[in-house]
Amino acid sequence: MRAVYLKELKSYFYTATGWVFTGVFLALASLVFYLNNLLPQSSDIAPFFSMLSYVWMLLTPILVMRLLAGEKRMMTRPLLLSSPLSPLSYLLGKYFAACTVLLLAVLLSLAYPALLSRYAPVYLPEVFTAYLGFILQGCAFIALDLAVTAPLKSTMSAAAAAFGVNLFVWLVSLLSASASVPRAVGEAVNFLSLYGRFVPFLSAQLSFSGVLFYLLFCVCMLALAAGAEYGGRMRRT
Amino acid sequence: MLQAEGLTRRYGRFTAVRDVGFGARAGEVVGLLGQNGAGKTTVMNMLAGCLAPTSGAVRVCGADMETAPGDAKRHLGYLPERPPVYPEMTVREYLRFCCRLKGVLKADIKAHVEEIIGLTGLDEVGNRLVGQLSRGFAQRTGMAQALCGDPEVLLLDEPTAGFDPLQAAAFRKLIRRLSKNKVILFSTHLLPEVQAVCDRVLILHAGQLRLDHSLAAESAAAQRFRLAVAAPGTRVLSPLRALPSVRRVREDGSGAKETRVTVETSPGGNFQGELFTLLTGLGAPILELTPLSDSLEALFMRVTGSPAQEAP
Repeated sequence: MRAVYLKELKSYFYTATGWVFTGVFLALASLVFYLNNLLPQSSDIAPFFSMLSYVWMLLTPILVMRLLAGEKRMMTRPLLLSSPLSPLSYLLGKYFAACTVLLLAVLLSLAYPALLSRYAPVYLPEVFTAYLGFILQGCAFIALDLAVTAPLKSTMSAAAAAFGVNLFVWLVSLLSASASVPRAVGEAVNFLSLYGRFVPFLSAQLSFSGVLFYLLFCVCMLALAAGAEYGGRMRRT
Repeated sequence: MLQAEGLTRRYGRFTAVRDVGFGARAGEVVGLLGQNGAGKTTVMNMLAGCLAPTSGAVRVCGADMETAPGDAKRHLGYLPERPPVYPEMTVREYLRFCCRLKGVLKADIKAHVEEIIGLTGLDEVGNRLVGQLSRGFAQRTGMAQALCGDPEVLLLDEPTAGFDPLQAAAFRKLIRRLSKNKVILFSTHLLPEVQAVCDRVLILHAGQLRLDHSLAAESAAAQRFRLAVAAPGTRVLSPLRALPSVRRVREDGSGAKETRVTVETSPGGNFQGELFTLLTGLGAPILELTPLSDSLEALFMRVTGSPAQEAP
């Protein structure tokens, strides 16, 4: 797993992918910071993260699109399949590499609360829980996108499919809040929503159920990705 | 060392490979021949653990590919049809990555990579990006990747594709050098390549193994030669028939200055040596000495049912 992890991590920054992801993330984060904190002169970090959480929908497909589909496109998959590495550890190596790039970009965004704290008091527990929830949400989107892109062979179709599913997840969580949707359905969707689960983290609550949900979600999606990626070739018929 | 038993692969109703079985021992170089679509790559993929067989089993150094894939793959090096290289890495980085994949100890990686680079002739491009290499060098990098971890079994799918004649000669030399303690199975369309380096040839046709033929045994068997000598038949024929290694001599045409015959020799004899001594003694120079045997091409055509090409 470590070999694949290190290779993928380097590949992100040897190619444009890692730089584009980090650059676009910081550009969007700067815009959101300007709109939510600088312009209204507010030190409340919650609206910043609330709005920023939608960037995962756009950005995680950039990280994920080449992870599995790229191997098929470049025909490098036999190298991994014929290595002693188990399919799951190979997949985990790729997943953790994408999560590390996400984490690096998020760490750079610590500059915003740091800047804010110079001019106004910042409630640190809120910053901590918001960052925790934000990172977990990003990692969950990566796992979801990995599962979606696992059967695909083209990086462009992988990016389009991942973005489509992310958009669907957002629309469903948006519709669940609509008055025309039955309350029970709305609550059920909110319970399973990657956006709904993020809300408690914004109000300085260390939501253990939220952490557990995101972790379980990642495990399920990675299992699906492993099944889709290896099922076809390893099935006996 | 490498054992395939009843390998069958079906895709829905289509059977790509049916009941293919063979074994290979250390030191054997085996050529896998077949027309396009015969199932060579499917067999290679199943042997390498990249594709599960519908039925049958693969064992590498005693480890079963289905029940102990990690152990089986540790003894295996695989070069697929298209070299599995990452264009953004340098050759050295790529080979270090492959060594890590194969579980080579961290302390040994550097020396091992340099050894492989030397073996495969990649010294001059070691620090270049793989994406900038010519096709021949990319193919050699793929070959180098298969050698990482010093595997006992090498599976090479069309390894000489993209090689120029010099690179192909270097490849043959490398195969001979490596074959001392390994099983090497390679598929190719180039029959002379098989004849030059293989001890054995497997011919696949329509997904079935049609021939498992030992080329080493063939060379030890009786041989025929076409011989032309610059001397009249009356001087040459009787002593030639009397040579211990000669079984039969057929006259193809004799004149006052030249004798043309087809000679059939006994297996294991030293025909060339005896002939040289005889003709030196007679003062009769050799004009032609050509071994005649069933060419691999003729064998291939016969097994695959393809029409043989007429001689020019």
